[in-house]
Amino acid sequence: MGIVKKFQQMFSTVPMLGWFLGILTAVLIEYFWGYDYISYYLGLPKIPVLFGALIMLKEPLMIPGALAYDLIVYVIPVLAVAKLTSPFTNQGAALLEKLPLWLSAVLHLVFLYAVLHLWAGINDYRVLIVKLTLISIILTVSINVINGYQGEFSCSHPGFMALGAYVSSILTLVLFTNDKIFGTALLPPALAPYCFPIVLVIGGAAAAVGSLAVAIPSFRTRGDYLAIISLAFMFIVKSAIENLHIIGGARGMGGQPDLAPLPVIFIWTTLCIWIIHNFVTSIFGKALNTVRDDEAAAESMTIKTRKTKMTAFMFGAFWAGVAGGLFAHVLTYINPGMFSINRLAEILAMVYFGGLNSIVGSIVGAVSINVLGEALRPLELFKWIIIPLILIFVMIFRPYGLISFTEINTKKLLEAKKHKTKQGVSS
Amino acid sequence: MRKIAVLTVVAFCTAMLFSSLALAARKTIIKIGINAPLTGDIPKVGEGTKYAAQMWLEDIEKAGGLEVGGKKYEVELVIEDNESKAESAVKANTKMITQDDVLAIVGPQSSKQAVPAGEVANKYKTVMISPWSTNPSTTLDRPYVFRGCFLDPFQGPVVANFITEEFGFTKAAVLYDVASDYPKGLAEVFKQAWEEKHGPGSVVAYESFTTKDTDFSSQLTKIVKSGAQVLFTPQYYNEVPLIVSQAKDLGWTGPIVGSDSWGSAETIELCGEDCYGLFFSSHYAAAGAKGATKAFIDRYEKTYGYIPDDVAALTWDALRLAQQAIQDTGKLTGKIEKDREAVRDALARIKDFDGITGKMTFTEEGDPIKCAVIVKINNQGEYEFYGSSCP
Repeated sequence: MGIVKKFQQMFSTVPMLGWFLGILTAVLIEYFWGYDYISYYLGLPKIPVLFGALIMLKEPLMIPGALAYDLIVYVIPVLAVAKLTSPFTNQGAALLEKLPLWLSAVLHLVFLYAVLHLWAGINDYRVLIVKLTLISIILTVSINVINGYQGEFSCSHPGFMALGAYVSSILTLVLFTNDKIFGTALLPPALAPYCFPIVLVIGGAAAAVGSLAVAIPSFRTRGDYLAIISLAFMFIVKSAIENLHIIGGARGMGGQPDLAPLPVIFIWTTLCIWIIHNFVTSIFGKALNTVRDDEAAAESMTIKTRKTKMTAFMFGAFWAGVAGGLFAHVLTYINPGMFSINRLAEILAMVYFGGLNSIVGSIVGAVSINVLGEALRPLELFKWIIIPLILIFVMIFRPYGLISFTEINTKKLLEAKKHKTKQGVSS
Repeated sequence: MRKIAVLTVVAFCTAMLFSSLALAARKTIIKIGINAPLTGDIPKVGEGTKYAAQMWLEDIEKAGGLEVGGKKYEVELVIEDNESKAESAVKANTKMITQDDVLAIVGPQSSKQAVPAGEVANKYKTVMISPWSTNPSTTLDRPYVFRGCFLDPFQGPVVANFITEEFGFTKAAVLYDVASDYPKGLAEVFKQAWEEKHGPGSVVAYESFTTKDTDFSSQLTKIVKSGAQVLFTPQYYNEVPLIVSQAKDLGWTGPIVGSDSWGSAETIELCGEDCYGLFFSSHYAAAGAKGATKAFIDRYEKTYGYIPDDVAALTWDALRLAQQAIQDTGKLTGKIEKDREAVRDALARIKDFDGITGKMTFTEEGDPIKCAVIVKINNQGEYEFYGSSCP
C-alpha cells in the first residue's frame, strides 16, 4: 500500500502533456529499435502486438521475454520521461492554459493522435484493433445516452447500426464504385473521401428516422416494454434486410471502398464524444436525467417529457448509424447476421461494464471489452468463460459499472500540475 | 524512490535471466495459418479443421520439416479462432498475415467468414485456400484466394439430376435457412435447376426459416400438404436431425435429400436411425473408400475416435495443396512478400492434384474442377458411396 501511495505522489506532478511525451518516447523507441534490437535480444519472434498478451498466453516460455519487452519499451521510458520532463511539460501546460480551452484540447488531441498513429502503424493488426475499438466507443457512448442518461433499456442499437451501415454502403456503392448490383459509378471515385462525411451523416439520419418506429409507439410505456419493442425492432431490421435480395439478402453486401482509415475514424470518434458530452451536460441533458429519475415531477417542472425522450433516442440512434457506416467501410463487407443478438450482447456488455451515465465509463468499457476480447484470443473457448466472469464480478461489486456517474473535466485534465506540490497537498 | 528504482532493476534482471530464448537467431520458419470456427455456432467444423491440420503437421514433423529446394524448413501452424463471426475472421486473417507472417492461410470454412476474410488475404497478397466455402464471391476477382471444393452452381444441378434419375420424381419441396448464406444460395440454385428440368411450378413448396429456429412444424406441415415427392434441405448438422425427425412425426414419407453440409460426423450422431437411407451430395464418402483416402480416414479415426467428415478431408487436401505449392516454388527467399507471391503462382499452376477428395485443377478464378459424390447413409449409419457426377 505504501509503495502505491508513494508512487502516486511521485507522479502527481506530471501533467497530461508529460504523459503524452512519455508515451511518445516509448512509441519512438519501439518504432526504431523494437524489431531489430529489443525484441531480437529478448528472443521474441517479433514486436509483441498487444503488450505481449497474445504471445504470453500461447507460449509460457515467452512470458519473461514479453514482460521484459514491456518494461524496456513501455514502462520505464514512460515513467522516466514523464517524471524527468515534468518541469518543462508543466511550463508547456501552463502556456497552453492561457489559450482558449478548445484550442488547448485540440492540440492535445493532435498529440494523442500522433502517438496512436505511430503505435498502431507498426502493425496493421494493431490498426484494425484500434479502428474497431474506436467504433465500439462511438456505439457505447451513444447507447449510454439512451440506457444511461435516459434510463431506458433499449435493445435496438444493432438495428440502428445496420440501418446506418446499409444506407451508407448503398450510397458509396451507387456513387463511387463500379458495382455488379448498382452499375457504374455516378461520381468520380476521387470525390469519395470528401463526400464520405455526408454519406455517414445520411446513414446516421436514416437510423434516427428508423428509431422513430420504436420511439413513437413505445414511449407511452417504460422499462420492460421498451426493451421488448426495441428488441423486436432489431429483429425486424435484420429479417427485412435478409429478405431484400437487391441488397444481397443473407449473402451480404461487399465491395465498399475503403474510406475509413484511422484518422477519419479518430476524428469521428472525438466528434461523437465532444457532441455527446455537450449534449448531456446541457440543459437538455439535465432535463433528460430528471425525466429518468421522476417523470411526473419533471412534467410538473414544465419539461416536455415526450419530446425530451424522443430527441435523446433519435440522437443516440444517429450515432449508432454513423458507427455502422464506419464499420461497413472498415470491413468492406456486411451481412445482416452481423447486426444480431451477438452484437447487442457485446454493446450492452461494454456499456454496463464501463458504467452508466458516464462518457469516461463508456470509453473504459469499450476499450477494455475490445482489448480483452483480442488479448484472450489464444484461450479459445475459455475466453468465453473469463470475460463473462469478469462481467459478473463487476455487476456484483459495482452494480452501475466501473466508472459511473462521472463526467470529463477537460480543464482539470489538461492543466499544469506544478502548484499542487508547492502547496504540498495531495488530492 | 530508491525502493522503486531497486524493484525495477531487480524485476528487469530476473526477466532477462529467465528469457531462456534470448539471443536465439531468427530463422525462416514456414508458418501456415488456420482460420477455423473453434467456438460459435459450428464448433464441430472447427474441430475437424484443427484435427486435420494437426495430423498434417505430424507428418511434416516426422519427415523432419518441409523440404523446399533441397533445404528442410521447420513448419509451424498458427491456429486462430474466428468465433464463426465475419469480423472475427477478418481480425484473425489480419493478425496471421501482419503479425505471425504466415506464408499461406487455410480457412475459413463457412462462406460468411470466407468472403470478407478473402478480401483481407487478397489485399495483403497472401494465399488463402478455403476448403469448404461454396459461395462464388469468395474467390471472384481475387487472384490470391483459392478453394478446395466445388461451387453451389455445380452442386445444385447434381442433386436435381440425381433425384430425377434415381426416383423419377417431378415435384420437390425445399426447406432452407433464409438468414444463412450457404443454404439460401444452394436452395436457389436447386430450385432453378429443378424447374428447368420439370417446368415452372414443379417446386411445390419453397419454405424458409431463420438461423437458430428449432421448430419447423408449420413449414413442414405445408410441405407435407403440398404433395411434394421429395424434400431437399441444404442445412447444417445442427438442424438436419430436427428437420428429419419433425418431418417424420408430421407424416412425411418420401425421401429427404441434403447437400455437403450434411457431411459432418455429428449429423448421424444426433439423428440416429431417422436418417438411415437418406441421400446427400458431398465431396467424398467415408465408407468403402480406397487408397490414400482410406489411409487418411483410418488414421483420423484411430487418433480422434470418429470418422472424419468432409471438412476434415477438404482441409487435409487444402493443406497438401499449400504444401505442394510451397515445394513447387523451388526456393524460399526468406522475404515473406516475395515468397507469398511465389506460392500463389505455384498454386495456380498445379495440375491434376491427386487429393483424397478427388483430382483437382484450378480454374482462372481459383476454383477447382472436381467431381461431386452422392452419399447414402446406410443402415449402419455410415456414409456410403452411391454415385458420382463430374463436370
